[in-house]
Amino acid sequence: MAPPLPRTAADVPPSFTPSSSRRRLRRREAVTPSTPMSADDSFPPSSDAGDDFDPADPEDADSTPVFVWGTNISVQDVNAAILRFLRHFRGPRETGRGDGLMEEGKYMRAVHRIMELEGGESLDVDAHDVFDYDPDLYGKMVRYPLEVLAIFDIVLMDLVARIDPLFEKHIQTRIFNLKSSVCMRNLNPSDIEKMVSVKGMIIRCSSVIPEVKEAIFRCLVCGHYSEPILVDRGRINEPPRCGRQECLAMNSMTLVHNRCRFADKQIVKLQETPDEIPEGGTPHTVSILMHDKLVDSGKPGDRVEVTGIYRAMSVRVGPTQRVVKSIFKTYIDCLHLKKTDKSRLHIDDLMDVDNSSNSRTIEDDTPDYQDKVGKLKELSKLPDIYDRLTWSLAPNIWELDDVKRGLLCQLFGGNALKLVSGASFRGDINILLVGDPGTSKSQLLQYIHKLSPRGIYTSGRGSSAVGLTAYVSKDPETGETVLESGALVLSDRGVCCIDEFDKMSDNARSMLHEVMEQQTVSIAKAGIIASLNARTSVLACANPSESRYNPRLSVIDNIHLPPTLLSRFDLIYLILDKADEQTDRRLAKHIVSLHFKNPETVVQDVLDLPTLVAYISYARKHIHPRISDEAAEELTRQYVEMRKRGNAPGSRKKVITATARQIESLIRLSEALARMRFSEWVEVKDVAEAFRLLEVALQQSATDHSTGTIDMDLIMTGISASERTRRENLVAATRNLVMERLQLGGPSTRIIELLEELRKQSSIEVHLNDLRNALATLMSERVVSLHGDSVKRI
Amino acid sequence: MVGLAYDFLANPLGAVRLAFEKAVASSPPDADPAAAFRGNDWGAVDLFRDFLFEQGGLSQVPILDASTRRWVQPNTLVRFRGMVQDMLGNELYVGAYKDGSNWRTNKFTDMAPSSMPPAFETQLWERHLFYCVPVPGQNSWAMEPSPSPGVRNMSSSTSQHGVKRGRNTEDDMDLNVSYNWDEASSNTKKQKEDESTCQSSSSSEDLANHGGDLELKNGDSSCLSCLVKIYDMPESHLKLNDVFEFIGIYTFDPELAGHEDNSDDVMYDLFEDPMAHLPPSKVPHLHCLICRKLVIQDFLPNSPVIEPLPNMIRKIRESLLLHLSAVLGNDEVAAQYLLLHLLSRIRAQVDVITVGKLSLNLTGFTRESASIFCCQLTNAVEELLPFTHVIPLTIEYLNNATLQPRKDNETGRLVAGVLQLAQGTHLTIDETRMQNGTLTSNGVENARLLKHLLEWQKVEYDFEYYKLEMAADVQLLIISEGKSNILPADLVLPFCPKSVASVNATGEELQAWRWYLATMRSLQHSSEPETSQILQDEMVAAMQEDRSLGCAGLTRWLTMAELMSASFGEKCLTLEHWQMIKELERLRKERLQ
Repeated sequence: MAPPLPRTAADVPPSFTPSSSRRRLRRREAVTPSTPMSADDSFPPSSDAGDDFDPADPEDADSTPVFVWGTNISVQDVNAAILRFLRHFRGPRETGRGDGLMEEGKYMRAVHRIMELEGGESLDVDAHDVFDYDPDLYGKMVRYPLEVLAIFDIVLMDLVARIDPLFEKHIQTRIFNLKSSVCMRNLNPSDIEKMVSVKGMIIRCSSVIPEVKEAIFRCLVCGHYSEPILVDRGRINEPPRCGRQECLAMNSMTLVHNRCRFADKQIVKLQETPDEIPEGGTPHTVSILMHDKLVDSGKPGDRVEVTGIYRAMSVRVGPTQRVVKSIFKTYIDCLHLKKTDKSRLHIDDLMDVDNSSNSRTIEDDTPDYQDKVGKLKELSKLPDIYDRLTWSLAPNIWELDDVKRGLLCQLFGGNALKLVSGASFRGDINILLVGDPGTSKSQLLQYIHKLSPRGIYTSGRGSSAVGLTAYVSKDPETGETVLESGALVLSDRGVCCIDEFDKMSDNARSMLHEVMEQQTVSIAKAGIIASLNARTSVLACANPSESRYNPRLSVIDNIHLPPTLLSRFDLIYLILDKADEQTDRRLAKHIVSLHFKNPETVVQDVLDLPTLVAYISYARKHIHPRISDEAAEELTRQYVEMRKRGNAPGSRKKVITATARQIESLIRLSEALARMRFSEWVEVKDVAEAFRLLEVALQQSATDHSTGTIDMDLIMTGISASERTRRENLVAATRNLVMERLQLGGPSTRIIELLEELRKQSSIEVHLNDLRNALATLMSERVVSLHGDSVKRI
Repeated sequence: MVGLAYDFLANPLGAVRLAFEKAVASSPPDADPAAAFRGNDWGAVDLFRDFLFEQGGLSQVPILDASTRRWVQPNTLVRFRGMVQDMLGNELYVGAYKDGSNWRTNKFTDMAPSSMPPAFETQLWERHLFYCVPVPGQNSWAMEPSPSPGVRNMSSSTSQHGVKRGRNTEDDMDLNVSYNWDEASSNTKKQKEDESTCQSSSSSEDLANHGGDLELKNGDSSCLSCLVKIYDMPESHLKLNDVFEFIGIYTFDPELAGHEDNSDDVMYDLFEDPMAHLPPSKVPHLHCLICRKLVIQDFLPNSPVIEPLPNMIRKIRESLLLHLSAVLGNDEVAAQYLLLHLLSRIRAQVDVITVGKLSLNLTGFTRESASIFCCQLTNAVEELLPFTHVIPLTIEYLNNATLQPRKDNETGRLVAGVLQLAQGTHLTIDETRMQNGTLTSNGVENARLLKHLLEWQKVEYDFEYYKLEMAADVQLLIISEGKSNILPADLVLPFCPKSVASVNATGEELQAWRWYLATMRSLQHSSEPETSQILQDEMVAAMQEDRSLGCAGLTRWLTMAELMSASFGEKCLTLEHWQMIKELERLRKERLQ
């Protein structure tokens, strides 16, 4: 048995069908009721409209209703309903306007357009429109698509014939945008012969198969050509004898190939997209049968939404046998195929900024997408969105809030600028993390890498920036094996995460100069220098020069990287691991709770990973903030101040001074911060935060600018905001206490006594260490002096 | 039930159909019986359940593998153990049809009677297809011997093919308790084990030498894959790479072979579907009546009945440690670490942290020591764990092997890669033969996959247009000369053998160890608030002592401490275990310097 042809009746011009006489009758029926209808626009579309209507029509009253086989659907009713829909449906925007000039409904205009152009052979009907106009018709259409669509086509043909009797072409109805779409894996026997809509990705397309629609035979004896014979469910009934009365030769008919009519056919395999696959499952596939115009309308790799009829076909054991196995093969007879742009809030697009101009496709209109965007916009309006984003980034990595803020800036990125003169300014933010071992630098790197899949994660130990080949090398002494691979070229439009940056060879590192400013990589091979794009943000982490931060050395000496390279990093974080019992304790608690799944772990309002990714990708694509005048002023003012500080005598070699590059960094950072709020304008607060980040990153507040060393007790990174306020409160409390208790220049007090006083005063627990810290702060403010355990106000 | 009108073993379909007709007859006349039974059972499965588990019929059901396949008759009841390698979606079939005035069923079979009534007298039902293979890396001792055909009343001509193994059919086979076997069978088992040890040792040497081929080491003896059709169950019940036991009706039709290939029907060819590549003439089909997920304990063929008493467990632990240190040339520290490693399993995955994994990198192997100890070590692991794999990591291997499972969209099948492994598989990666060399893109990809598995316990499957990550739970042991930077393990331990000892283990010992490893590994951990408080204090103290420990180090210590307590059969971590870990880590640190 050959496959049943889909919509046989509909595919065939009416004049050839055996029931053409009956159809003509139907045409009359269908047309007549429309006349009174057009006069009365307010006719209520309801489920029983057809029933009410039929008796009113004198012609229909005496004709016996024809029912769709096996159902109680009256052909006449459906006929009338469809006609009503086609003639009178108006889009929601049109209904608002007066009926003056817009006499015709949406689909009548479409029909006219098709007829004028003579090109399109199909009328796309939005199923939502059908539902809005007549839910009953929609229900019938979905449940009995074969029958209803055949009627739909007939009604359409009649309509066309009434407008222009000479219009020859056959117009097909293509339904799309069903109310609900089915998940591919949920297609089951109850969906057979129903209209379904599935989303998926095309993975295979067969070649185009010509299929005989009408066959013409010729008599070998007399040369008489037979009437075109229609293919009936895949079978051609060869005439047993010549049709000419004079000849009537038996078994003389032969098929004339070049006079037969063929139609295109194609089989396409659709596979589930990753988001629909449950955990531990593999994607399902379904075959789609495409006809005529739909052939080649999608190619492998496209994400599409297919509307069609789910059908089953029995499997024969062998071609020669009539024995049918009990197994059925299923496929979808395609009615409409819509390409959905790659799900736009997808992880792949995270770094894809360039094609924002041409990406405004139809998908922007889909309610689904709008819905998602709406949610993101709502999120962006939250007052604490900045904090929320910070918490959502690597929630399992402890503390390091300010580092995370910097990384967020990197993910959001600034605006890349290309001037007409050809000069370009990168929008990517590069970050260097320098820190003591064991401060979860690597984990942060891995998290960022996970968030931006086009990025590359590599260890500086084994990466050559440009090499395109990978090489395994074995240390002859230790036997340690290292995989060396070229990394940067591969991470175009991603984040290139380089672990162990300090271990990178100088040669490879020097390549980074070009990457980080010009965003290209030059490769010289066989005398040809090729310049490849490497539009990447670099996130590198390194250990201090003596593997642990040495407080006695200056910051520059500790980082020990060439200043030319350092200046290319927008943010340089010093993550110093200060022996702090409080932090350690929280870390320990956190780890224990991870292992034992204690319910007491704090659940903050965090965005889950997909939302975070969607948020970032939307911001990168659609938000391009500009700098407001006030913000620009603030930028200049602060920058000048920063430059001044760097000019302190003797500091030039010991601290990282502000350069012109830094103002670019600050602009990028402020832009990124504005993006986080989905704001089109960079405001003063963004600039202020950008400066704060820059300061915090380098522990500026703790740096003694005359020596370039960092006072370990004043380090602020690694301390959460709440902890910081707690400390500030303690400092204030101590200051008050000192002011109260101690006379200026009076006798000194022991720390223990102060501690006891404080404990009496405040409800919070105060440790000796905390007090010492607070006193140290006061000492730097020159309020007290500290000698051993005795405190003296000065 | 009054008298059996059918034979569950030889004619299970009879039972199914009779039950169906009974059910139809007893259903109210106005209801459509066929529709009522769509997607649910009419009591047939309960009949089988009763027969298999209440009347001890399970022991008579033959296990389907390459050796038994020769004599197992189509349309009889069989058992099959395997891993879900591919999911082929659902299949619609005529579940019920009207034969005259009676409804009949086609459930649990492929073939319909020669004539089908017209469409309105049939009911389309649905079943799910799974392609199952023997568990990759399954060691021969973990195979369950099938009851010989002699036990059953098979025709004499077929029974002579079967391997005769004295088995007592009266054994009580309860599904929930591990299988017990009588003395006689355990003797044969032992013989078999000895054979298998030799076999597997030679095969692993082969692997090490040739480096390429990673076929199932159990050879062809049971390399039989099977298309399993599951009824009345949501597809999500089975997950990819799950290990299941299916009991169902075996169908196999070599006579259909001739017809499939010369089909001239265009449509037929175009709906190229996976089934076309799995014709019933080549791949046995199994219509599953009952299935259950297997855990490692189910693969211990004749586990001794060991009361999980603390001192008993302690004893086994001691003897296992002795054995492991003998294997490792009397390196006791390495033995301790190896034990913890063998007990590790994934317990949770939170963002970037995978809780419970403990990969081990033994370094310091030279060419000579590698030739002795690698082999001993892999053999020992093979004897102890049911599913093991060895990957000889060389440039050639990385460049040529297909580690990544890949969907072949031409055939619609998932092509298994080496890394498509069942949960709880042990993977030994032998890096000692790695030399300098250039990797191709395939090699880089393979190295990346291995590293990804090591770090995240996830394997990326290639579906051509996108990749899907599948969770894995694989214990990774890396043997290398220096620290492996290609595969950075959780623990790096320089290996210091003191002497070469010959390793001998009796069958009973092996059984006890296997039982011990499987049981202790599956122990659920819990904690009391006091301990967790003490632990936190301990961790803070440790941090103060060694700043380089960091979050990763503490996580590792805690994992190890939990495994240590599990190794004593205790569910709760105590300070004692923590101290042991600290001591171990101190020893390790000494070695690293």
